[in-house]
Amino acid sequence: MMRAASLSALLLLCSGAAHAAPSPQACWTLHRHGQQPQAEACFTQLTRSADAYARAEGFWGLEDWQNANESFRSAAAEAGAPALVKVRWGTLFHERFNNPEAVNLFREALSQDPNRAGAYLGLATVSAEEYDGKANEYLAKAEALDPKLAAAHELAARIALENDTRELAAAEADKALALDSEATEAMAIHAALDLIADRSADAWFARIAAVNPHDGEAYQEVAHHLELHYRFTDAAAYERKAVGADPRLWSAHSALGIALMRLGEVDEPAKELEIAYNNGYRNPATVNSLRLLDSFKNFDTTRQPTTVIKLDKKENELLEPYVQAELHAILDTYSKKYSMTLSGPVQVEMYPNHEDFAVRTMGMPGLGALGVTFGQVVAMDSPSGRKPGDFNWGATLWHEMSHVFIITATNQRVPRWFTEGLAVHEEGHHQPEWADRVTPDVLAAIRDKKLLPVLKLDRGFVFPDYPQQVIVSYFQAGSMCDYISETYGEGKLLDMVHAYAAQKSTAATVQDVLGVAPEVFDTQYLAWIDKKYGAEAAHFDEWRGKLKALAAAAQAGQASTVLAQAPAVIALYPEYTGEASAYAMLADAQRDKGDSVGEVTTLTAYAHAGGSQPEMLKRLASLQEAGGDKAAAAVTLTRVLYIYPVKDADLHKHLGDLLLAEKQYDGAVREYHAVVASAPLDKAGAEYNLAQAYFAAGKRKEAEETVLLALEAAPDYRPAQKLLLQLQQGSTN
Amino acid sequence: MRRLAVLLCMLCTLNASAATYYVTVAGLGGAPEYEQRFTGEAHDLDKVFRAAGAAAHVYTLTGAQATAAQVRITLATVAQSSTAGDEFVLTLIGHGSFDGTEYKFNLPGPDLSAADLAALCDRIPAKRQLVVDTTSASGGAVAALERPGRAVITATKSGTEKNATVFARYWIEALQDPAADTDKNETLTAMEAYAYAAKKTAAFYDEQKRLATEHAVFDDTGRGEPVREAGNGQGQMLSSLTILRLGSAGAAAADPAKGALLARKEALESKIDALKYGKAAMDPGDYRQQLTAALVELARVQGELDK
Repeated sequence: MMRAASLSALLLLCSGAAHAAPSPQACWTLHRHGQQPQAEACFTQLTRSADAYARAEGFWGLEDWQNANESFRSAAAEAGAPALVKVRWGTLFHERFNNPEAVNLFREALSQDPNRAGAYLGLATVSAEEYDGKANEYLAKAEALDPKLAAAHELAARIALENDTRELAAAEADKALALDSEATEAMAIHAALDLIADRSADAWFARIAAVNPHDGEAYQEVAHHLELHYRFTDAAAYERKAVGADPRLWSAHSALGIALMRLGEVDEPAKELEIAYNNGYRNPATVNSLRLLDSFKNFDTTRQPTTVIKLDKKENELLEPYVQAELHAILDTYSKKYSMTLSGPVQVEMYPNHEDFAVRTMGMPGLGALGVTFGQVVAMDSPSGRKPGDFNWGATLWHEMSHVFIITATNQRVPRWFTEGLAVHEEGHHQPEWADRVTPDVLAAIRDKKLLPVLKLDRGFVFPDYPQQVIVSYFQAGSMCDYISETYGEGKLLDMVHAYAAQKSTAATVQDVLGVAPEVFDTQYLAWIDKKYGAEAAHFDEWRGKLKALAAAAQAGQASTVLAQAPAVIALYPEYTGEASAYAMLADAQRDKGDSVGEVTTLTAYAHAGGSQPEMLKRLASLQEAGGDKAAAAVTLTRVLYIYPVKDADLHKHLGDLLLAEKQYDGAVREYHAVVASAPLDKAGAEYNLAQAYFAAGKRKEAEETVLLALEAAPDYRPAQKLLLQLQQGSTN
Repeated sequence: MRRLAVLLCMLCTLNASAATYYVTVAGLGGAPEYEQRFTGEAHDLDKVFRAAGAAAHVYTLTGAQATAAQVRITLATVAQSSTAGDEFVLTLIGHGSFDGTEYKFNLPGPDLSAADLAALCDRIPAKRQLVVDTTSASGGAVAALERPGRAVITATKSGTEKNATVFARYWIEALQDPAADTDKNETLTAMEAYAYAAKKTAAFYDEQKRLATEHAVFDDTGRGEPVREAGNGQGQMLSSLTILRLGSAGAAAADPAKGALLARKEALESKIDALKYGKAAMDPGDYRQQLTAALVELARVQGELDK
């Protein structure tokens, strides 16, 4: 947000804003110094001015947005109105959550006065907020037009720190302070830098307080950067300080509410968000978060000593056993691996509506991620939130839980690339089939030499230079950890965690732990990548052409051509299991030719390559079962449980049958229970199957309870009647 | 449904010697994939119905045979052969159209309107009729087809749902899948088949993350708007209309030596029904004890009947 206070200096440049006392600039200066009663009196006086522009500033200062807007409209309509009016009007729009209108006004101001630095600053502010990559370009223009514009350097410092280029952030903040000794946002950047580096920021806060003892925005600025550095608890603490410093800073109430939601709180966030909302701060994040909190009544919460699981009521009974079991397996594995125990229970929330998850995370819909970790709270999509095959909830949970441990182990002092890389590495380390696959975008990046040096890899996550760079960066970070594990040993990854915990930089961590300079590490890593994927990258276009030809042959029903050509296409790029994969075409052709052995081989290779389409895996399981290998079929169907265990009672029934046949009774009970939890049409049949599994497992009491449920639904159900009599006979003998 | 279970059992007994006339028509596909699909589905139904036993009279029209003239002839044959005590099931598979006022079942050559079909069915003396229209826009046929004694199931809720449907696939699956017999009494009622097919159809669109373009409905009161779920008088006829007998149900009824056991069974079923009806007002432990005793006794009686 472009703060009104920061712009007060701009008002001095307003050639057409000379009025009888008070001036807008004088009022904003009072506001900036925290002299609220005087500032309010001053703004009130402005609202009585004959000058529409002065009235607009007055109403703005009094938070009368409607009248401020109307007065700006009148001021802008006056003949000879300076471009500054539109800059300030645009700033008002920006402050009131309407960036498109703000941008229009900044552009209109520039068409009126191409040298209006404030308009470029406005455009830069919006661009920075929307992460569209153009902010620095606009800032350069603003600075060129007005080298004394301290606010431009404050914004540059903010962007630099968001990008974790700390030296640049400090330098830009210093430039701002050199131009304006009261540049509190620059001071806040310095305070944030100190806190991120675990130094005391008291001196900076003292300087801020000297300018304005009620400067909540400075604390908000600090909170924003702490949050970006995974310091979620600290971020909430500074949002709280912001509210304390300026209880009328409604944006801080909203931000505090959202920050507390991320820590798993519900009641206090609701209170804070309502304060913001009721005082007119109704940006989308506030409104969406309040709606989401309201929807929490649709969730069930299961609490155990080390876990809290929050699932939609409609799928809680089905999913909770799977999530609980997986979460405990993860806690056991990571606790041993990282030699640590989490301080309290970890909370996992799964959202069947992806946009609810996005709001939970960002306050806004439209998030591309599958899961997000805030300290010991993990929010993620439920498997039902995505199309079957799009998402592996098991892999995502292992990924996010890695963040929980690494963020805790390093006290949140870990660069983005490493925590993401390690999380990706853990997915493949736990299950090779869950390893992050080299996608066409990644292959293209390797081919075009777009991978980033380790010291700049964070940029690929925060400020991508091209649309796919975030995905590429995930792969690169993960493969870097794979490379470290493979070349230096898995233990070195743990050593790196300790180095980051000791607040070493990436350069120092790489040098000290791996014993090589970052540049040398980059060279060695790239050579490893080239060895692994160089040939695939070099033949990427050839693969694409051949896949296209193969698809045409498959479409034309030329099974023999597909059988002949598909193996070569797969060999060119074995990791490709996405849409229209050569595996699928080859398996279809083999089926058409009646070659079930070949079909099993192809589908098995597809599964091992990370193929995740449930229908393909279920087809493999059917073939394995038909071939007499029920154990393999059960393993294959178990894979599907991690991909799409919802809305598929048949899957659970079939797997339950296989496990029962294999005498894996606990697994059979789990699967038949899942059928019951799926609210099947055939309730009696589902309960009977579960009763049978209990009976086979020697759990007679549970078997009787369950068979009675089957017979309550269908009293004439003969197999269930027989089981009941059998159980009764056993209990009377 | 609790009361219906008893009623159903009585009707099963009453209708044990009646015949059921099954007429299935696969309409014009318009494209090879639809031609193949519709014909295949009709043949699947034909197979299911023919396996239902000697009381089943099965007529199936597909491909070039499925003309309006042939449909008229077939239904006239049924009208001549059947009696008031018989049951009649007409299944329409294919494409339908609706112009805002009139539904038409698409056939090679002239189509048949809903009014035409209704008139043909009216001539059939069977007092209990079921029309299952699985075509697109079939919801537009309900108003013309419905009348007392005739239940109508359609794949779409109105004539404006015009996309090709998948309801037929799951209707047929219901007739093949023992799981559709949810009360496990070895008779598949039209309501059980409808519930199965409607649920599976909805799940199909949900799994595909596609906007559902069909919403199955039914009417078995002979008047008013069709509904999606039983209640308020709707669903009674469908629940008592047996489409298929799956096992040996009914065989015992024909054995006079087992009359006492059958009476005991019926009494126990009534008792269980009453217990379930009063469950909310009972002490849970007491309910459980009484229900268990009745279920165990019923299981024993059934065991005797099966000997």
